[in-house]
Amino acid sequence: MKHLNKGFVVWFTGLPGSGKTTLAKNVAKILRDKGYRVEVIDGDWARKTISLGAGYTREERRIHLHRVAWVARLLARNGVIVLCSFVSPYRDVRKMIREIIEEEAPFIEVYVYCPLEECIRRDPKGLYKKALRGEIKHFTGISDPYEPPENPDIVVDTVKYSIEENVEKIINYLAKRFGIN
Amino acid sequence: MRRAIVIGLDCAPPRILYDELRNELNVLGKLVGEGQRYIMRSSHPPITIPAWMVMATGKTPGELGLYGFRHRVLGSYDKMYIADSTRIREEPIWNTLGKHGVNSIVVGVPPSYPPRPIKGYLISDFITPDHTKRYTWPPWLKKEIENRFGPYIFDVVFRIEDRDKVAKGLWEMTEQHFKVLEYLLTNKKWGFAWFVEIGVDRLHHAFWKYWDRNHPKHVSGNKYEQIIPSYYKFLDEKIGSLLEKIPKDTLVFIVSDHGAKAMKGAFVVNQWLEEKGYLKLKKKPEKPGEDLKPNMIDWDHTKVWGWGGYYSRFFINVKGREPNGIVEPSDVPELIEELKDELRKIKGPNGEVWNTKAYAPRELYPVVKGDPPDMMVYFDDLSWRAAGTIGWNTLYLEENDKGPDDAVHDWYGVFTIYDPEETIESGDKGIIDIHRIKDKMIQYIMEDKKIV
Repeated sequence: MKHLNKGFVVWFTGLPGSGKTTLAKNVAKILRDKGYRVEVIDGDWARKTISLGAGYTREERRIHLHRVAWVARLLARNGVIVLCSFVSPYRDVRKMIREIIEEEAPFIEVYVYCPLEECIRRDPKGLYKKALRGEIKHFTGISDPYEPPENPDIVVDTVKYSIEENVEKIINYLAKRFGIN
Repeated sequence: MRRAIVIGLDCAPPRILYDELRNELNVLGKLVGEGQRYIMRSSHPPITIPAWMVMATGKTPGELGLYGFRHRVLGSYDKMYIADSTRIREEPIWNTLGKHGVNSIVVGVPPSYPPRPIKGYLISDFITPDHTKRYTWPPWLKKEIENRFGPYIFDVVFRIEDRDKVAKGLWEMTEQHFKVLEYLLTNKKWGFAWFVEIGVDRLHHAFWKYWDRNHPKHVSGNKYEQIIPSYYKFLDEKIGSLLEKIPKDTLVFIVSDHGAKAMKGAFVVNQWLEEKGYLKLKKKPEKPGEDLKPNMIDWDHTKVWGWGGYYSRFFINVKGREPNGIVEPSDVPELIEELKDELRKIKGPNGEVWNTKAYAPRELYPVVKGDPPDMMVYFDDLSWRAAGTIGWNTLYLEENDKGPDDAVHDWYGVFTIYDPEETIESGDKGIIDIHRIKDKMIQYIMEDKKIV
């Protein structure tokens, strides 16, 4: 097992259904195969554990992601590569996350770009369908906005490019920046 | 590539914008005065739907399959639908520009309900049933708008006698539209914007006779005589305020979908068809103004029936197409020519000569898609609308049979290009066909004079 003195946090943001967690899991597999200690944290896990009962209003999302940011920070400062996959729709909240993490570890923002209509078409969990029927409140892209990053470290387009191509792009970036091999 | 905004004034005629009110309108007067001015020749028919989409796509109503608001399902006596955005298969300009990376803001362009995905932001048009429906793209924009401006107002009720109420509604609606527009144009990323104010059309329909001295029912010095100029001035201030808040080098297009003119009356089309022997009723109508319903018609002896509206649609009871069709398909062309001859002979209530024209859709369009009528009829060059109701003791009604309405549509609207950087030649440029406008806009936005 390779040990990094200090890990880092890769934060995947994008609309529901854009492919964030799929990418994070694939990146994690490659990094693990290379011998690194990697943790993937996504919304489904966080809402069942550290943020049990968290809601979806702007303020509730902020508190929820504040918790996640602190967990990621603790892991990263102990040498773990942390891949976080969260819709994280608001710019100011992502800024807060970056500030928390960067006090102790590098933070890389990955914008997982996928147009809303394509996410609606994919609808992997059937949530868009429910949101469009008005059955889910505060659903990003339908009843709540998504504010795209203005200056992300990496942009991956999950319509134009395959999972493999996007994973390669992320791994190349990490290799260049952190000497991952 | 240039940033551009299209200010669409539904139903605005050259008479108002280019002539009579031009000097009273500080902003619009300057834009048309210093811009490149065209008289815009509208589509067949010159009706809001399809005209705006013809303009936005450059395609004919036949290619779009849009012949007005209501469409009869071919081969049916009772099935009809209102055309909406799901019928549009051709590419509006905002999608063309989107392919070049341009973000658009589209507000109120008919028909844009239900909202379809665009690169940018969209609020749907006046056919939107109400604000409880999903009417924006992206969907979350609805909440953002309503949090700031309350429920979006799509239209006003205008075919009512209470004109004060119509006026109040018009001002409220337009005020809100411009607030929303200003918010979008100053808070969202955009390179192209197209906004249509339906209030102009409603204003004309509700108040034309009060303003137009040539209207047969105009009474000088009436209470509402200044409503039309007042609304245009109100609109003018709103446009001026809006233009001050967007980048100064933005190209401005001022455009309408068709014009307006005085309604002389309504011609009772189904009674005329009955008199001429084309339509047979099972029994006499009990009261004047009854809607013609399929169960009133003796289909075994009916060749043709019609719809009312600013133009009339004729439907032929074709054997093998309609449930009780009696006209052999091979006889249809001859019947159409016969009807045209008869229609041309119609004179006004005082024996005045009319300029009535009728067309089969295939005569007008290179392609005829969707559910076209068999004939499109313009009574006295649109000055007389068609009344589809029956039971009247005359063929000539003074009023619209569907409620107060004193204006009809006219063929000619406006199209002006204003470039604040003065790179284009200003002045009158004659007539432009509505089908050419998309290309013309792209020509200026893309700064490629070779496109057109």
